[in-house]
Amino acid sequence: MSSDTPKEPMRHAVSLRVNGREHTVEVESRMTLADCLREKLALTGTHLGCEHGVCGACTVLVDGQTARSCLMLAVQADGAEITTVEGLAVDGELHPIQEAFVEEHGLQCGFCTPGFLMSIHELLAENLNPSDDEIRDVLGGQICRCTGYQSILRAVHSAAAKLRAANPAREPSAA
Amino acid sequence: MAVKIPHTMDELPTSEPRFVGHGVRRVEDAGLITGRTEFIDNVKLSGMLHCAILRSPVAHARIAKIDTSAAEALPGVVAVVTGEDAARWSHPAAAVPEGWGLPCLPTDKVRFVGEPVAAVAATSRYAAEDALEQIEVDYDPLETVSDPVAAMAEGSPLVIDERGTNVMMQRVFTWGEVDAAFDGADHVFSERFRWNRLGANPMETYGCISEWNPADHTIVVRGGFQSPSHMALGRAATFGLPSNKVRMIAHPHGGSFGGKGGVRGTDISILLSRKCGGRPVKWIEDRMEYLAAGGSQAWDRRYEVSIAVKSDGRVTGLRVKLIDDLGANGEGFGAISAAKPLASFTGPYAIGAAQYDLTLVATNKVPASPYRGMGPPPHNFVLEQMMDIAARALEVDPAEFRRRNFIPKDAFPYTIPSGNEYDSGDYEAVLDKVLALSDYQKLRAEQAAARAQGRLVGIGVASAIEPGVFDWNAYAVVGVQGTGVPEGATVSFDILGNASVRVGFALEGQGQYTLAAQLVADYFGLELDAVTVTPLDTATAPPHFGPGGSRLGVALTGAVLGACDRIRTKMSAVAAALMQTEAANIVYRDGKFTIPGAPGAEMTVPQLAGTMLGASHLLPPDIDPRPEATHVWTAAGRTPVDEEGRAKSYLTAAQAVHIVGVEIDRDTGMVEITKYCLVDDCGTRLNPATVKGQTEGSVAQGIGAALLEEYTYDSDGQLLTSTYMDYLLPTVNDVPVLEMDEVVTPSPCTPLGAKGCGEGAIHTTPAAVMSAINDALAPLGVRANEVPAAPNRIWNLIRGANETPASE
Amino acid sequence: MKPPPFEYAAPSTVEEAVSLLVQHDGEAKVLAGGQSLMPLLNMRFARPAAVIDLRRVAGLTDIREEGGALVIGAMVTKRAIERSTVVANRQPLLHAATRWIAHPQIRNRGTVGGSMAQADPAAEYPAVAIALDMELDMVGPGGSRRIPAADFFVTYLTTALEENEVLTAIRVPVFPSGTGWSIQEVSRRHGDFAMVGAITTLRLDGGRVADPRIVLFGVGATPLRARGAEETLAGSEPSEDAFAAAGAAVAAEIEEPLSDVHASADYRRHLARVLTQRALAEAARRAT
Repeated sequence: MSSDTPKEPMRHAVSLRVNGREHTVEVESRMTLADCLREKLALTGTHLGCEHGVCGACTVLVDGQTARSCLMLAVQADGAEITTVEGLAVDGELHPIQEAFVEEHGLQCGFCTPGFLMSIHELLAENLNPSDDEIRDVLGGQICRCTGYQSILRAVHSAAAKLRAANPAREPSAA
Repeated sequence: MAVKIPHTMDELPTSEPRFVGHGVRRVEDAGLITGRTEFIDNVKLSGMLHCAILRSPVAHARIAKIDTSAAEALPGVVAVVTGEDAARWSHPAAAVPEGWGLPCLPTDKVRFVGEPVAAVAATSRYAAEDALEQIEVDYDPLETVSDPVAAMAEGSPLVIDERGTNVMMQRVFTWGEVDAAFDGADHVFSERFRWNRLGANPMETYGCISEWNPADHTIVVRGGFQSPSHMALGRAATFGLPSNKVRMIAHPHGGSFGGKGGVRGTDISILLSRKCGGRPVKWIEDRMEYLAAGGSQAWDRRYEVSIAVKSDGRVTGLRVKLIDDLGANGEGFGAISAAKPLASFTGPYAIGAAQYDLTLVATNKVPASPYRGMGPPPHNFVLEQMMDIAARALEVDPAEFRRRNFIPKDAFPYTIPSGNEYDSGDYEAVLDKVLALSDYQKLRAEQAAARAQGRLVGIGVASAIEPGVFDWNAYAVVGVQGTGVPEGATVSFDILGNASVRVGFALEGQGQYTLAAQLVADYFGLELDAVTVTPLDTATAPPHFGPGGSRLGVALTGAVLGACDRIRTKMSAVAAALMQTEAANIVYRDGKFTIPGAPGAEMTVPQLAGTMLGASHLLPPDIDPRPEATHVWTAAGRTPVDEEGRAKSYLTAAQAVHIVGVEIDRDTGMVEITKYCLVDDCGTRLNPATVKGQTEGSVAQGIGAALLEEYTYDSDGQLLTSTYMDYLLPTVNDVPVLEMDEVVTPSPCTPLGAKGCGEGAIHTTPAAVMSAINDALAPLGVRANEVPAAPNRIWNLIRGANETPASE
Repeated sequence: MKPPPFEYAAPSTVEEAVSLLVQHDGEAKVLAGGQSLMPLLNMRFARPAAVIDLRRVAGLTDIREEGGALVIGAMVTKRAIERSTVVANRQPLLHAATRWIAHPQIRNRGTVGGSMAQADPAAEYPAVAIALDMELDMVGPGGSRRIPAADFFVTYLTTALEENEVLTAIRVPVFPSGTGWSIQEVSRRHGDFAMVGAITTLRLDGGRVADPRIVLFGVGATPLRARGAEETLAGSEPSEDAFAAAGAAVAAEIEEPLSDVHASADYRRHLARVLTQRALAEAARRAT
């Protein structure tokens, strides 16, 4: 089968629930989830830093787990529950992780920040008292060029403390 | 009446500044933390098309033929451009040195892998990339020259044939009695060093949306520009338009660090817009494009360095010979990076004579671009290595060796041999503080114990100057014209007394909008959120350059405070008129205009703004009724270069001392940073939190430079490090916990005494880490003279030492 | 960096997946976790006519014990393996190896089958497969077959999996009791592909090394089972000298080490020696 002659690409209807809202979009097979979120759903808070899965700027939650949206096809997300940075603040009120970042100056240019927020969200959803090692294990997959990471580490600890205070009934660590 | 800009915090008309000098939350963050900030790729314009660029797969070849017909026929493709269109509609972009520029799309040959050859505008980036695959290009390969020493030799292939040589510039600068210093020295130490290419790599690549208006031949470009005015003037020149026919709209962008690049892509997208009859064309550089052919690469250097030392440890002379491989041409301004070391050539030391033998060479690699620090970081590395070599030979502790050579604190302002003037400093205080912070004696004791066990433990002490507030003047040595880098700000009030600041630059990450808001809020006694900061485009903005050369904190402060002072003068006149007295009787402080000795005679800023805007009939006719003012700040006293390239260039000199501990695994060559202490002095800290952020970020970049980051080419000029799997950026696990403290020696010549600090620790960190590594290797009698100190290199050194007797 | 055009299907059975592969006659690629394939698609280094996604295929996501081995479905993610108490308890080497792989964000989606089929020379899982004598199950148009790991990894990025076959499960032996094991790597940064890695397993029998297994990754096109070094080591006392000798033997056994910008051939050969020695020492400490 020759791939020299461009064929009519297959188009798919994809239904996904993003930040609690249902969407159905039509996409080419090859459209990445990142591009689908950004272009079809106008959720441009998820950023593209490398498009090969290393920098982590495009990280979103898919069914509660972090995923590089540049390494997923939109069609793979059919039926999935996606959370992006736009889903963190509620009616303008910042999520405690966002609040902690602002307080601790955990961002400078802000381009990598949504990816960090989603990874930290996954971590703290499971473990409200992460150790430095556990935090570094998660953050090791996210690259920031501006902050040098010190303030981000401070922000994670602060966010964990905020969430512990807000959820006294929850066990600190799932492990 | 002359504008009075406060030189110290005390001179602010504010009894207790609530914001300036405090690490306040940033006003920028609301948009950034929620993902709402409008980075350029978020923007969609009506009728917009998407650009993809076809790039040369070979480093040096004649373009025999380009056939774009199949690409043009694809559905979704609206236009294709090649070198023919570039030649027809544009000139080569500005380059330094002059004459070393190239068109954005060539007609004759390609000169580096990744060089643009053609470009497509289509209905989506996906479709545009499909179309690239349908463009046929026939290349006739030419011999590649990828080594600068080979490029300098007779008979080398020429990168730009018309230049007749690959040597862009060769010059020897001699300052002071260099020969006498070396002849009269008790010791002369010499060493060679190699610093490999690395670069900015902001997390957001460059992007733009360009529109050519066919009706009136104007250009509008939206993009992630570090310096909008610079880009605008450049595009006007490139497209042969009057400067007022080009408008750049700068968007918040995801970092830059000097290396955002994007000039060729901008020009190509403008050509495409023209060819599409004026439709907007968006070009988003992807990461592989950035790494191979963007503003991504800098400082490809070969050094030979010598120092002359007296037996009491004083360094009396410094000779630096540099061969700087600038890649295929001067469009990336890599020559400026080779010239900037003049601003701090002899570092923080009272070295009386120096020489700089500088050769800039063209090769078949991507043109070198700016990167944070703009040239001194490798220079500081080699200088600090020589200080260590001398200290070790003289058996003097490296910290003490530096102390003996520091410029003393009563010697400021201090003019260095290469001409720049350092404004202020107390280098010994910084050294003492970091020695205490690091518990230096304990570190040395621990090192001795570890060495007794055969472990390779090192401690590095490095000090460097971090020049701040750049000017163009010193770059005359590489052909740049002009003196003065203005920054303007317009401050205005609305009828309710809320303030706004209008500036000419977009967000880049340093917190500059917050700084502007802090200054206005404290000056006029407002809440921080009563001040908004808005960027204007180049058609309407006050004169500006934007961030760069560690200038914006100082320059913006000058511009904002100047505007505030002008408003104060206006409001004093209005208050005087309304309170029926002379303007000279009005005192302004803490948001109130009062007549001393007349209780109750008081008007607030909001009252005055409201009156000026809402009841201007009450004002005397000769008073400007607008509660707004613009001030443009430039650094005073910048001199033209003399015959040896000397000039007062950078206005401020921040300084730091870093102490770094490392351990090297002798079996693997892996380097672990076990301790990182630093003390720096950048004068008054206008927002300590953002200053700290700049320091922490630049330390990480410095660690990346010392240990991880390197662009590697093969002998055919192919880039081997073409993705982030191979070009290694530091992660959280590569940066140790930093122990930091500060000394504050205000600058006597800047607003509020602040010094430029944005480039920060990258001036010092690579030197400090390499110093520690070489201290660790010292018992083996080997030296790491190549950066980065990748484990394979370190292991090669260790292996070499094991195979020959150690010379200690 | 946008993928070239391709068709996409997400079949719900293995048979359907195989049938689609047959239909596309070698021009289709299987999509598992996507962490290896998607970068290749984004860079247009892979240009399949069709992508066959296994995410809906039933029966590929279990972890169970069967006859002294763990049977792990090919679509089980590294995250699931990392968090599986069954794996942590019954095959700690596999658990430990998983922790070395990339970062949590990648492990969330990357699958064990995908790793095995990708056969990256620097990857952990193929080396663990060789070290443990795993068996790999696959299904093709002619039915199912089972291949020992030693026969599965053919050369650089190439396995015995036919272009119309789908990997369905791996069978992971559990250790005989008393087995000591180790996995060690050297990489530029935490989570990067190894420059060189070493896996060792051994038992102590009457105070002497028995059944040593030494597997290197990152040194050659496929994981290297250092049989010569194993033979020399078997029966020795578990001493530093014996481990050093084994390391030297491993280094000598590597014919042509890989070489790239991060590590030269010589350096890899050296690292192989060092890591073998360290991994044997650690395995000996673990052995009971």
